[in-house]
Amino acid sequence: MTAHQEFELLVNQYYSTLYQFAFSLARNEDDARDLTQQTFYAWARKGHQLRDRSKVKTWLFTTLYHEFLEKKRRQVRFPHFELSAVDQDLPNVAPATINELDSGAVLQSLAQLDETFQAPVALFYLEDHSYKEIADILGVPLGTVKSRISRGIAQLQQILTHNEPPGDAPKTRTHG
Amino acid sequence: MRYRPGVADATDADVDAALEQARRDPHLGRWFDQHCAFQTAVRNRLKQLPVPVDLKETILAGYGRVLVIVWWQRPVYRALAAAAAVVLVAALIYFRPEPREDKSFAAFRDRVVRSAQRGYAMDLTTTNLGEIRTYLAEHHGHADYTLPPALKKLPGDGCAVLRWQNKTVSMVCFDLGNHNDLYLFVAKRSDLPDAPSTAEPQFVRIEKLSAASWNGGDNIYVLAGSGDEQFIRNYLPGNSP
Repeated sequence: MTAHQEFELLVNQYYSTLYQFAFSLARNEDDARDLTQQTFYAWARKGHQLRDRSKVKTWLFTTLYHEFLEKKRRQVRFPHFELSAVDQDLPNVAPATINELDSGAVLQSLAQLDETFQAPVALFYLEDHSYKEIADILGVPLGTVKSRISRGIAQLQQILTHNEPPGDAPKTRTHG
Repeated sequence: MRYRPGVADATDADVDAALEQARRDPHLGRWFDQHCAFQTAVRNRLKQLPVPVDLKETILAGYGRVLVIVWWQRPVYRALAAAAAVVLVAALIYFRPEPREDKSFAAFRDRVVRSAQRGYAMDLTTTNLGEIRTYLAEHHGHADYTLPPALKKLPGDGCAVLRWQNKTVSMVCFDLGNHNDLYLFVAKRSDLPDAPSTAEPQFVRIEKLSAASWNGGDNIYVLAGSGDEQFIRNYLPGNSP
């Protein structure tokens, strides 16, 4: 397989989820496109240095994440949601809320998460990365990743529950 | 909270215990069903984020423009250049006369840390720390070294048996990821009379690397990496990962 063919294969396989990860970080199409393109071009220039080809997925996501961090800028600022410590009770997202979720609502809620939770939670849902892969991509220990994901999901659920418009009470109730 | 339906999260010991509890407790089970629905919904919505229709073609079209490979950047020429550099470095290390034959520990430490920065070749490339120890044992290197707990947790990168002042030095490389390595050099204490006499590490900065050295029984250790002193401390004896 030539380098060009390998490149095309990788683009076919990963451009979609890489873009979605980039979009979850940058939250606008132009930056997400740039990040995605830069990542693949970095691979074109330096991918031959990767000895273990089974780690190409992690390499791509790590490179994109580092590209984002290096030129980090937010064009749209979402208000950060002040949350007290995570509730002792298990967070409960109403079935109606779940059913009405759309990509925009999820993305908007993701943007309101604590900054340290956004990338691990996005990776957690996209591409079904394992915890080890997420730890490698973000360059943090495995235990830290698990903690951030747990807390991030709890925050996400609180945000989604808090963002329900008043009067849109769930039509169903869980019976104790 | 971290469980994702349809993904291998159930193999996680923490998650496995929680799943068992959810199966036994009806109230918890109802919460769990709702939680799985939430996880699935969020995953699906994120994966439905629209991707620009022309993105793939744009990336592929840019391949030829971006890929300006100057001939010496081609892998075969880089390999030849790397081999030539290794031969040159080896010749400098093995044959270059020491101006005053400085056989001090400081000279040893300086030489091995600089060699890691200039270019080196590993005799064995592997992530398996057991294979590294076996290789060193079979090739007149040091196999009796003791790794600090944090280093034991890292994947290896490879090893080499070096010579300094006609003394054997073993180099063990650890892969930190992101193309960063840690280098552990091991030498016999008896070969370096003025080496540190205590287990308390001594720190020094040599060009772009920080290095810590300590006495470990019959061996002297030098650990070098591209971080500051605190970064190196994380991998020293007495620090748990």
